[in-house]
Amino acid sequence: MDSSARFSPSRRAVLSGALGLGATAALSSCSASSGSDSKALTVAYFGDPKSAASLSKVADPFRKANPGVTVRFVGTTGTDWNEFFTKLLAQIAAGNPPDIVSVATEGVQLFASKKLAEPLDEYVKRDKSELQSYFSDVHPSLVEAMMYEGSLYELPTDFNCGNMYFNSKLLKQARVDYPAADWTMDDFHGIAKKISTAAPDVVAFNWVVRLWGSWTSFMYANGGNLLTEGKYSGGDWLWDTFYANDPAAKGRGGGFQWGAPTANSDAVVESLEYMLQLKREALAPQPDAGGGGTLQGLFTNNKIGMSIGGGFWAGGLHNAGMGMNDFDVQLFPKWKTQRHLFGTGGFGMLRSSKNKELAWELMKSMSSVEGINVLTAGNVTTPARRSMMTADRYASTGPKHWQVFYDTLTKLPDTAPIPAPPYYNQMATALVSRTTQALSSGNVRSALDGLQGDLEGAANAVT
Amino acid sequence: MIAASLAVIVIFTLAPIVASVLLSLVSWDAISPPTFVGLGNYERLLQDQAVIRSFWVTIKLAAMIVAAQVVIGLGLALLVQRFRSTFLRGLFRTAFFLPLLVSAASISIVFTYLFNDKFGVVNYYLGLVGMSGVSWLGSEAGATATIVMVAVWQQLGFVFILFVAALSSIPRDVLEAVAMDGAGPIRTFFAVKLPLISPTVFFAAVIGLINALQLFDQPWVMTKGGPGDATTTTVILIYQAAFQNLQFGYGSAISVVLFVLLMILTWLQFVAGRKWVFYA
Amino acid sequence: MTSTVLSSRAKTPSGLRARVAARIAGRILAVVALVASAVLVALPIVWAISTSLRTPATSYDQPPAWLPTDPVWTNYSAVFTAVPLLTFFINSVVVTGLIVVLQLITSTMSGYAFAMVRFRGRNAIFAMVLATLMVPAQTTIIPVYIIISRLGLVDSRASLVLPVIGGAFGTFLMRQYFLQMPRELGEAARVDGAGPFRVFRQIYAPLAMAPMATLAVLNFSAYWNEFFRPLIFLQDSSNFTLPLGLVTLQGNFGTGSVSIVLAGIVLALLPSIVVFAFTQKYLVEGVAVGSFR
Repeated sequence: MDSSARFSPSRRAVLSGALGLGATAALSSCSASSGSDSKALTVAYFGDPKSAASLSKVADPFRKANPGVTVRFVGTTGTDWNEFFTKLLAQIAAGNPPDIVSVATEGVQLFASKKLAEPLDEYVKRDKSELQSYFSDVHPSLVEAMMYEGSLYELPTDFNCGNMYFNSKLLKQARVDYPAADWTMDDFHGIAKKISTAAPDVVAFNWVVRLWGSWTSFMYANGGNLLTEGKYSGGDWLWDTFYANDPAAKGRGGGFQWGAPTANSDAVVESLEYMLQLKREALAPQPDAGGGGTLQGLFTNNKIGMSIGGGFWAGGLHNAGMGMNDFDVQLFPKWKTQRHLFGTGGFGMLRSSKNKELAWELMKSMSSVEGINVLTAGNVTTPARRSMMTADRYASTGPKHWQVFYDTLTKLPDTAPIPAPPYYNQMATALVSRTTQALSSGNVRSALDGLQGDLEGAANAVT
Repeated sequence: MIAASLAVIVIFTLAPIVASVLLSLVSWDAISPPTFVGLGNYERLLQDQAVIRSFWVTIKLAAMIVAAQVVIGLGLALLVQRFRSTFLRGLFRTAFFLPLLVSAASISIVFTYLFNDKFGVVNYYLGLVGMSGVSWLGSEAGATATIVMVAVWQQLGFVFILFVAALSSIPRDVLEAVAMDGAGPIRTFFAVKLPLISPTVFFAAVIGLINALQLFDQPWVMTKGGPGDATTTTVILIYQAAFQNLQFGYGSAISVVLFVLLMILTWLQFVAGRKWVFYA
Repeated sequence: MTSTVLSSRAKTPSGLRARVAARIAGRILAVVALVASAVLVALPIVWAISTSLRTPATSYDQPPAWLPTDPVWTNYSAVFTAVPLLTFFINSVVVTGLIVVLQLITSTMSGYAFAMVRFRGRNAIFAMVLATLMVPAQTTIIPVYIIISRLGLVDSRASLVLPVIGGAFGTFLMRQYFLQMPRELGEAARVDGAGPFRVFRQIYAPLAMAPMATLAVLNFSAYWNEFFRPLIFLQDSSNFTLPLGLVTLQGNFGTGSVSIVLAGIVLALLPSIVVFAFTQKYLVEGVAVGSFR
C-alpha cells in the first residue's frame, strides 16, 4: 500500500492531534481546507443540505457586492440539533470551523459563554444607519433573545411561538367553533372532551417531550419557569439607539440571565400534573420524546385534534399534504396568564473567523427582506420582520389566522424565549428524562424534584 | 500488507483509544485547551449515580439481549435442522437474516411507529385479544422490552446462521450412534449436540455481549434513554457527557471504564469457556 | 437414513406407526413454529414496505393493511425529487465497495498471519486488535476527526474509507477460520519450495472463500447503513452517502411524511438484499468457523 505513507505522519503529530492539543494551535494557525489565497466564507446551518442551492441565493447580493469572495453553505441534517452541534464541535476541535453558524435561541448563550461567538456590538454601532430599518422591523423581544451579558450575538431572522393548532375537520366533527383569542384552559379542556367524544379513535391533543412547545407551553401559561428569570444589564446601547420610541422595548436588558432553578415550584408541578391528567382522561396519548415526526404525521392524518405548533407548522403541514383550510391556529389558551414561549433563529459569527468584516456583511445581507425571504421560503419558519407577515405570504399554505404568529409578540408583551442558559444541553437532556419519568411513574413531584437537582448540578458545574 | 493493515488499526483505532485514556485525565471542552486533572474524572465517576445506573441498565439490557438471542437462535436452528430441503432452509435463512441488512436507526424508526401506544399496529392486535393500551415506550418495563426486542430481532439472523452451520457440522455417525442407544431428543441435545456446538455458542455470546454493551442507536432513536433513565445506556451517557455537556475528559473516563468492563467480561467468558466449551 | 434408524429401533408394526405419527406431528409443529417466527420477523419490514406504498393520509389506518392492494408509487418518486438519490447511491456504492474489498484483503492477510505465522508479540497484538472492537465509535470520533483533518481529508469520501481499512472484526473472523485449517497443507507446499506469501495466496486464501463471503456481506450491511461517521466527516451534500442523505426525508424537527420516510428506508434496503442474494449460499459455511480455540 503506497498510500500508507500518506496516512502515517509522525507519532507525535498523531498523538498531539488526538489529544486535542492541536486545537489550540489550530485557532491561530491556518487549517488545511481554508489555506488558499482567495477569500472564502463558510456558512454552516442546521437543515436540509439539498436546500443549500436555494439557500445559497441568500448570498447573491453579497456575492455581487464582493466579487472574488466565495460563499459556501454547508447544511447538516441531523435528527436533532445535537447532531449538528456534535459536528460543529468536531470541526472546532480539529481547527477548521466555519465562519458563520446558524444558531437558534437554544445555543446562543452556550456559544457566547464559551467565547465561540463574536459579539456584534461594535459592528452594529458602526453601521447604525444601515441597520435602522432592520431593527424597526423586528420585535425587540426577538433581539433580546439573541443577547448575552449585554452584547448582541445575532440578528434574528426567524422565530416560532408556541401557538395552538387545530385540525379543522375534527373541530367541525365535534361541532366546535374556532375559539376566541382570549380562550382559557377550561375552554381548551372542554373542546378536548368534545373532540374525543365525537371521534373516539382520535386523540384530542398531542404533544412532544422537549423544551420548545411541550408541556413547557402550559408551564409558561401557568406563570412558571424552569429557571429564575433575570436580565443582564448593559443592553441600553441597543435599545436607546434603535428602539427609543418603541414601548415594547421598555424594560429590556442585555439578555436573559437565567438564575436559580425553580423546576419543582408549584406552578411548574401543576402544569406537568395537568399533562398527566390529560393522559389519564385519555385526552392525550403517551407523547414521543424528541422529534415531532409522528406528531405531525398523525395531525396530517386527522388523528389529532389540537397540538402546539409555531409558524413552521404552516409549511410543514402544507408539505405533508394538508390543504390551507384543513387546519388553523390560535393563541395558546389562557391559564393564570396567557404567556407564550418562543424560539428564534439567526446566524452568528465565530471568533475564529479570519474574514470577520466579510462575514458581517453577509450576515447583514441575510437579515435583509430578500435574505429572510429565502430563509423562510415555503413558510417552513416565520420571518422575524413584521413587514413580511402578509396575507400573500400565507395564501398558498394557510393558515387562515396567520396573524396569530406575530400577534403573539406584539399583543402579548410577556411572551418570552424558552429558557436557554449556557448549560442548555444538560437542561434539555434532564428535562426529557424527568418528564418521561413523571409520565411513567405518575409521581410528578418526585420527578421534578429530580429535575431541580439535575439543573442545580448543571448550573453549579458551569459557574 | 499486514503491516499496512496494522498501521491503519494503530493510527485510526489504537491511537484514539490511547487518546481517550489520556483525555480521561484532563478536563476539556473541545474549545479551550485541556487542563490536567489526574484521576479527578474517575473520582467523580465513582460517585455519579447516573453513571452507575447506566452501567446497571446496560448490563441488564445486554444480558437479556444475549440470552434471548442465543436461546431463540438456537431453538430456531434446531427446528430448521429437522428439514433436509435446501429450499426451505434458504427461505428461513433469508427471512431471519433480512433484519440484519436494515440500519439500526432506520428500523428503530419503524418500531417506534409499530409500538405507538395509541396508533401502533402492535397495540391494535393486542387490543383485539383484550390487552388494550399497553404502554410500550412510555413505561420502564415496556421500553426495556421493546429495546430488547428490536436488538434481538435484528441480530437473530447472525446467531441463527452460526448455529445452523454448527449443527450441520456435527458428524452424522455420532447422532446415529446416540439414536441407537435410544436417547430422546432432549437427551441428545444436552448430551451430544450442545457440547459439540459449545464453541459456537461461546462465540455468539462473546460477540453478542461486545455488541450489546455498546447499545446506542435503538434507545437513542426510540426513547432518548427514557422513561426517566430506564434505557440510558452507558454509550448514551458517554455521548451526552462529551457532546452535549462538553465534558470530553469525563466522557472519556466513562468510556475507559466501559472498555475495562468489556475486557473483564470477555476475559471471564474465556475463563468460563475453558470449563464448559468442548473442543473436539 | 431415516428409515434404517426407524426400522432398527421399531420392534412392532404398531410401534412403528406410533413413531411415524410422532415424527410427522413433530415435523408439523416445527414447520408451524418456524413459519410463525419467520412471519413475525418479516412483519416489520412488510409493514414498512406496505405503508411506504400508501398515501400519507391512510398510513395510520386501522386495522393495518398488510398488502398494498392499491399501491401509491408517488412516495417513491417523492424520494427521488426530495433528494439527489443517484448521487447518494453512487457515493454509497463507492465507499462501501472500497471498504468491503480493502477489508477483505487486509483481514484475510492479517487473520492468516495471526493464525499461521509465528512472530514476536503475536498474541499481544491480536489482543489489541480485539480490544479495538470494544470501544464505542462515539468515544473516539473527535480524535479520529482530528487525524482526518490533519491529513486534509475532511469532507471527502476517502475519510470514510481510510480509517476502517484494517478491520478488527474481519481479522478476528478470518483468524478463527484459519486456525481450523490443517497446517500440513502449507508445510507440504513449503517443502516444494513455495514462499510464505505464495502458500497463503495459492493454498489457503482460495479455501477461505466462504468466510470471506460472510465478512463481505456483514461488512456491506454495516457500512452501507453507517450514519454517525458520515454525519461528522462529510459536509458537502455531493459527498453524502445514502443513510445521511435519507435523513433529509425526516426533515428537520421531523416534519416529513411517514410514507416517504419509509419509502426511503425501503430504497436503502434494496441493494443490501441484492448483495445478500448473491452471497447467501456461502453464508452457512462461512460462519461455521465461529468457534474459539
